[in-house]
Amino acid sequence: MSDEALEKFRAGLATIEGEYQPALEAATNENALREARAKFTGPQGALTELMKGMKDVPGKHRRELGQASNALKNAVQALFDARLEAIEKEALRAELEGPMLDLTLPGRRPMPGRLHPVTRAEYDLLDIFGSMGFETARGPEIDTFGRCFSQLGFPPDHPATDEHDTFYVSGGGEGDEAHVLRTHTSTMQIREMSRREPPLAVVSPGKVFRRDDDATHSPMFHQLEGFLVDEGITMAHLQGMLTVFLERFFGTAIDVRFRASYFPFVEPGAELDVRRAAQGDEPAGPWMEILGCGMIHPTVLRNVGYDPEKVSGFAFGMGVDRIAMVRHAIPNIKALYDNDVRFLSAF
Amino acid sequence: MRASIQWLRELTGLELNIDELAEKLTNIGLEVDVIERFEAVDKVVVGQVRSKEKHPDKDRLSIVTVFDGTEEIVVICGAPNVPEPGGHILFAQVGASLPLEEGGTMDIGERKIAGVVSRGMICSETELRIGTGSAGIFVFEDEPGLTEIPKPGTPLAEALPVGDVVFEIGLTPNRPDCLGHIGIARDIAAVMGHPFAPPAVKAPAKVAAGVTGVVPDGDMRVALEWEGESTATEVDASGLGPFAVEIDDAERCPRYGAAFVLGGQVGKSPFWLRYRLHVLGLRSRSNLVDATNLVMLETGHPLHGFDLETLRGRKIVVRTATEGEQMTTLDDEERTLGADDLLICDGEGPVAIAGVMGGEDSEIGDSTTHVAIECAYFDPRSIRRTSRRLGMHTDASHRFERGVDPNDVRYVLARTASLMAELGGGVALAEGLDAHPTPIERRKITLRVPRLDALLGFTVQRATAQACLERLGCDVKVDGDVLEVTAPSWRPDLAIEEDLIEEVVRVHGYEHVPALVPAIRPSRSGSPGPARFERQVKEQVAALGLYEAINHAFVAPGDLAKARAPEAVVKVVNPLSEERSVMRTSLLPGLATAAGHALRRQAPGAGLFEVGRTIHPRDGGELPEERDTLAIFLAGAAHGPDGNAWIGGERAYDFYDVKGFVEATVDALAGQLPAVVPTDDVPAWAHPRRVGAIELGGTKVGVVAELHPEVGEALGLEEHRGQYAELDLATLRETIEAAGVSRAPHLPKVPAVIRDMALLVDTEHTAGSVAEALADGGGELVESVTLFDRYEGKGVPEGKRSLAFRLVYRDPSATLTDKVVDKAHQKAANAAKARCGAELR
Repeated sequence: MSDEALEKFRAGLATIEGEYQPALEAATNENALREARAKFTGPQGALTELMKGMKDVPGKHRRELGQASNALKNAVQALFDARLEAIEKEALRAELEGPMLDLTLPGRRPMPGRLHPVTRAEYDLLDIFGSMGFETARGPEIDTFGRCFSQLGFPPDHPATDEHDTFYVSGGGEGDEAHVLRTHTSTMQIREMSRREPPLAVVSPGKVFRRDDDATHSPMFHQLEGFLVDEGITMAHLQGMLTVFLERFFGTAIDVRFRASYFPFVEPGAELDVRRAAQGDEPAGPWMEILGCGMIHPTVLRNVGYDPEKVSGFAFGMGVDRIAMVRHAIPNIKALYDNDVRFLSAF
Repeated sequence: MRASIQWLRELTGLELNIDELAEKLTNIGLEVDVIERFEAVDKVVVGQVRSKEKHPDKDRLSIVTVFDGTEEIVVICGAPNVPEPGGHILFAQVGASLPLEEGGTMDIGERKIAGVVSRGMICSETELRIGTGSAGIFVFEDEPGLTEIPKPGTPLAEALPVGDVVFEIGLTPNRPDCLGHIGIARDIAAVMGHPFAPPAVKAPAKVAAGVTGVVPDGDMRVALEWEGESTATEVDASGLGPFAVEIDDAERCPRYGAAFVLGGQVGKSPFWLRYRLHVLGLRSRSNLVDATNLVMLETGHPLHGFDLETLRGRKIVVRTATEGEQMTTLDDEERTLGADDLLICDGEGPVAIAGVMGGEDSEIGDSTTHVAIECAYFDPRSIRRTSRRLGMHTDASHRFERGVDPNDVRYVLARTASLMAELGGGVALAEGLDAHPTPIERRKITLRVPRLDALLGFTVQRATAQACLERLGCDVKVDGDVLEVTAPSWRPDLAIEEDLIEEVVRVHGYEHVPALVPAIRPSRSGSPGPARFERQVKEQVAALGLYEAINHAFVAPGDLAKARAPEAVVKVVNPLSEERSVMRTSLLPGLATAAGHALRRQAPGAGLFEVGRTIHPRDGGELPEERDTLAIFLAGAAHGPDGNAWIGGERAYDFYDVKGFVEATVDALAGQLPAVVPTDDVPAWAHPRRVGAIELGGTKVGVVAELHPEVGEALGLEEHRGQYAELDLATLRETIEAAGVSRAPHLPKVPAVIRDMALLVDTEHTAGSVAEALADGGGELVESVTLFDRYEGKGVPEGKRSLAFRLVYRDPSATLTDKVVDKAHQKAANAAKARCGAELR
């Protein structure tokens, strides 16, 4: 009985010995390989089943057969490991040398939104002025007639206000105390200078309003006001600072032109134009008006309690919408405030 | 202001290169906006009519034979004034190309008109663009003052003084002197370094001898000054005088002058005058009226000519109107005047609105023979108020409200009288009247030479400054480093030292100002505060996937009503339209409207935001409150990681999308999630069951809600449900600042144990309350409770939902054993059951 078991065990080992190698080598993927191994060393595998017959084997042979079984099990495992590595290598090779991914499927993108082109232009301007030492202040959109005009030195009943066709709103008083939608951000000169002492370097962006509504005018638009007040500030500084600004904004391949102009709250007043400089055979571009500027009028300085004999300053103002329009080739200012999503998503 | 280069050349005596001049003028503040060229058309020659006959069929047409200097040519002409044979006309030959006013050209070729071959065209001034409003063709024989008719065949350019360049100058309102050619010429000469003087007034051919009785003796009587010889002529002036000027309101009318031309004849102006007016954009009226207009364009000083015989009582009274007083102006409009309006009256009533427009009854007409010329100075503010109130903007009011030269009155009168006498063949009176109750003194201004350097940042020599000012007409007295300057009366804009500094640098050239970069000293009172925060908000929300909108700050009251926005509004007193007549109290209408448009234009969804002010009135004349507000609006198909960003899977935006945008925004800015909590203060625009207050650290910073379906429909969203949140940026910023910056977290070294739990809960219990029960029940070991699944529907009883939570357990001091966690997990489940009736699934 026991010899029979011994023989059977030995025969079983021999069978497995002969079968495992071709079986494992026939497997070409990981799953098949694992299945092949399971046929021999898995819970229901041939070797596992065989081992269950060990109890019937005569005791003196058990050690020998046990060692042989273990050796065979290890051999199966070793071959399995080798085969698995080979299969993985092959799979990697196949992936690396195989067909290309469909690159045209869309990415799983988080879909970022957009800032409005006016905001983008405004932030670019603020970044440049910020880097030059100007701080940003914002002020109210509704202000008094006094701060919008009188304190800035606009003469009463004067055509200088023709370009400032003004919206009045309810709730204000008479004369200087009337409430208006500010026609320019220059109100911020009065507001900031009245509550603070020099040195002051401020830029102030914001909405402004004028009673103009046609192809080229929107009754609401955006301006950026800037001013610098300190001892010894001159018109040369005005030109220097604004030239640095323009070179940072447009690049250095530009021509800059300062020319005389008139704004009631500056004296001398100037307008600044910029154009693409001539390069090689290409002639210079056309002049483009960028901003109005000048030395802050002594009346304004006195109105905020400064002594024009002691401090001086320059101020400038520009249309942010215009800059956004030039930059993005936006043909019509109205497009800025229609809020068409197709437009807003384009920048 | 239109400026004729030809005229400027005559006044300055300078050869002016067009492009250089345009650049120079622009640089000195007289910005040249448009350059318009007037040229004689080629192949237009003087022609002589050799024969003319009526067309056999067409009554209005003539068949004319014209001799063009070489041959006789038959043409058809429709004009009523073809001269008799021998007369001279302007003839466009075949091949001529006539410019059309609306652009393009009319090319003259051989044409068959009414059965007759016509080879050329007899032209009018309008057709050649050498005049306007001509009734028929140009006929040399009808031209006044033409001594010799050019030979047939003479080209147009040689036959008539045609050709000019006109600059359209965008004049700033501080330069009334440049509303006349003399002023512009003075600036040109100054900047080119040439001396300048206005032209001397040529004496008229005929001057009335002795006292005529028109100009009475007295202080007002002045002799007009002119150069050259005149013939003393007798005129019958009986019944024309004595002429009186009374000024009742010397503040509004500091000066009033008058001159007289008698016995003239109203007629057509000579071609040179008509042409000059034409290129400058004025229509020729008659010789006498054209004279006043020409002198206005020359000196910048408006004039008015009265038919002397229509002035009742032979006097001028300058007074303010009585309230409601009426008169008919020469544009045939009945005007109602007020007590602030200045009138020019005769002995019985108003004959002109001072400085604005003359009256119908007293204007120069065809039968006028005796003219009184008015040249006055009116208070600019008064003229401006009147012209604004009446909505009458005229060439005269435009100049008076900017301030004409009060002291050129006699020069202007002499010039006009001389010109009128020349054109109309009348006799100028050698004396006029000059009522000058309030002399306007020339301003004296001190210029300290060192102030030039101090303000300009470079050195200007005293002599340079002096020369610049003198060329502009200033009288300058030098006293060491101080220039005592007397400003010319034609420059009302020169009042203070800085004005003179600008003049110096303007004439010297802005290009001489160097570009220096100053060091900016930081201000101690500065703060990046609100501006920086607003930018962080905008950039954050945009980065999350929304598009920034900018809406108008004013809206239609109806839009606010539709949006159920706060009703207390700041109204625009003078709106352009009802559409924009109140300041917005909410950003909702603008965003909802934009989203509605987008959805109707086939956008799958719209995710918009705006950072703007809502405006709320305050009492007592205080400026209104302007609240910086962040508003987020979503409608239509959602996009984003779990929306339709990738192929497949589309769903509509719902409450949790807008809540998510709010959470992500606040989290990014504050470093902590806001709470969305039930609120008693449900806005009228909100869905009453889908609304919550946004709180940060217990402070309400905003509200988030689905739009009330009725509001959505009213705002044009159709079937779409709008999702809206608004946050008060000041409160948000202050809350974040008060909380201070986040502190570094303590990172545990012991591992956590993670357990999930699925519960069946009545829908009346919120997920938040179940999570809270779990956290409380689990005790101190619970580090976090997170909802990760929610399910209602098949397999779950009606009225219940399945909520799956992930609980993270950790004991910072020891590694947890399963036994301890099992116990805590059970306690958590017990608490959820006790408080919310939650059953384990």
